[in-house]
Amino acid sequence: MRRLLTLREGSIVVVTVLAIAYFSVVNDRFLTTANMQTLLPYFAPFAILAVGEVMLMVAGEIDLSIGSVYLFTPFMFYEFHQAGLPLWADLLLSLVCAALIGALNGFLTVFAGISSFIVTLGTLLGVGGLTLIISGAAPVAMPGAEVRTTTETVTKVVNGHHISLQEQVNHVGGFARLFGAGTYSELIWALVAVACLHTVLTSTRWGMYTVAVGGNRHGAAEAGIKVRAIVIRNFVLCAFLAGFVGVLEAVRASSVTPDTAGAAETMFRAVSAAVIGGSLLTGGEGTIVGALLGALFLGILRDGLVLEGVDADYLDFILGLAILVAMCINTYVGRVRKGSGYA
Amino acid sequence: MPEAAEHREDVLRVEHVSKRFGPVTALRDINLRLGKGEVLGLLGDNGAGKSTLMKILAGFQKPDEGRVVVKGEEVVFRDVGHARSLGIDCVYQDLALVNELDVVQNMFLKREKVRRPLALLAKREMRAATREALDEIGINIPRLDVPVARLSGGQRQAIAVARTVTSDADIVLLDEPLAAMGAKEGAMILDLVQHLREEGRVSIIMIAHNYVHVLQSCDRVNLIQAGEITFDKPTADTSVEELNEIVVEEYRRARRAALGPTGN
Repeated sequence: MRRLLTLREGSIVVVTVLAIAYFSVVNDRFLTTANMQTLLPYFAPFAILAVGEVMLMVAGEIDLSIGSVYLFTPFMFYEFHQAGLPLWADLLLSLVCAALIGALNGFLTVFAGISSFIVTLGTLLGVGGLTLIISGAAPVAMPGAEVRTTTETVTKVVNGHHISLQEQVNHVGGFARLFGAGTYSELIWALVAVACLHTVLTSTRWGMYTVAVGGNRHGAAEAGIKVRAIVIRNFVLCAFLAGFVGVLEAVRASSVTPDTAGAAETMFRAVSAAVIGGSLLTGGEGTIVGALLGALFLGILRDGLVLEGVDADYLDFILGLAILVAMCINTYVGRVRKGSGYA
Repeated sequence: MPEAAEHREDVLRVEHVSKRFGPVTALRDINLRLGKGEVLGLLGDNGAGKSTLMKILAGFQKPDEGRVVVKGEEVVFRDVGHARSLGIDCVYQDLALVNELDVVQNMFLKREKVRRPLALLAKREMRAATREALDEIGINIPRLDVPVARLSGGQRQAIAVARTVTSDADIVLLDEPLAAMGAKEGAMILDLVQHLREEGRVSIIMIAHNYVHVLQSCDRVNLIQAGEITFDKPTADTSVEELNEIVVEEYRRARRAALGPTGN
């Protein structure tokens, strides 16, 4: 236990295990395969958004515009498809658009010297507005994610008798299954993102410089680190991932609605996941695995409460309280870890 | 300037360097030389331009005018990395340590060892090298995997100095290495400088405030006043009294000027 707590992710592990234990005890439907599959979209997309955000938060910046980038990118995907390009080109070009918004955020932050909170607040609104303009505020069907329904004859064995029934079966294309529509697609992408960025943050120069830039910006510059390049790079990465998740989610739902309010909420949940996972808003500290667990914790909470039949009106209220309690436990465990004597 | 024969031994020369920050002239006309293996003490009041000069020599800031000659060749530093590639490295007054990184990561910041092809950090190798380097210069830091935030001021200073002297640098700039240090920790750093001086491989410019320390650890002393080098003598030819007298005289002059010609 002591060893676990000395890990930076220790506190969020404890909090998540407590949540799992609670819901498993109060509801026997919680630990079922069906529910685990229900849980996935509650957390996998947020995990990807959150790990991108962690890379920025560790560098001492924040990106609020991920909500809008998340919304904007699938519409660009749609527009490129309308222009007659194949699916893979739509994906690539729309992700380039997302990355460009990240680059814009980065340039404005490091060269204009505006705080990233303000810059990305601007792009959150601006890109959200742009999405409304290009979409005409109307939802679109996601290209490549069309669901084809066929009626098939399925033979089943019931009480020793072979019975043939007509069933409706849904089919989606391989592209869609790979990018969001497959049951475990988002989970796999989330785990890939976590594995890659965990390695980047803990075992590469890029990660070390990110910590240095967030921990001691002046010192990092004195040591010869190109601070601006690191910050811009992390903004690009964060926006790229937000765009990617936007496409995954649009493909999963097979359509996308220009809901800018929902986009902002998505952003807040991702930032919450990063913070609950142990990343500091002040920079220098943060963990990728923690962000994954933070997203998992929020997903479990939402899924568990829905499963228990908590009134929808109470859901956000309880979620908010739970986040505060989780953060208190988190901070307490963090103090034990650091042995700062406040605990 | 001294005679040409001496120049060949100089690893570093600064000629007529000036630097302004807006209306403020930080360096007026700096001329300075550093011989191979020499330890040069740089004294001067706060705001006299010592740190600005160090930052220029480290490639962190660019001079407005003048030349910098490194090992016989005139250079214009592009950035810190360029100066470092020429063997010049600086321990800044603020140490440039990252509190959140551990001892090993700080030791190797911006000179990491990586393993191809993925360029992942060679952690074990860097750790062993760190331990070896710290042992060699006699600094005892029990754990290398703790964030440097948890170390004492002296240990932090020691790491900052150690990372510079264990790199390939042969021109080391120490910006007030004894600031904010206890007597024992200060002695540790002075011992380290002494050790390097005896070894003779690296040349050092050290900013300090304590005349006794400078006379004890340096071969030569320069005094910088209002952006100019006003004094240049081997430590053997000067004394605490002489240095004191110059500085006090500067203060008196400034005071007289401030009071005006009537002298009331």
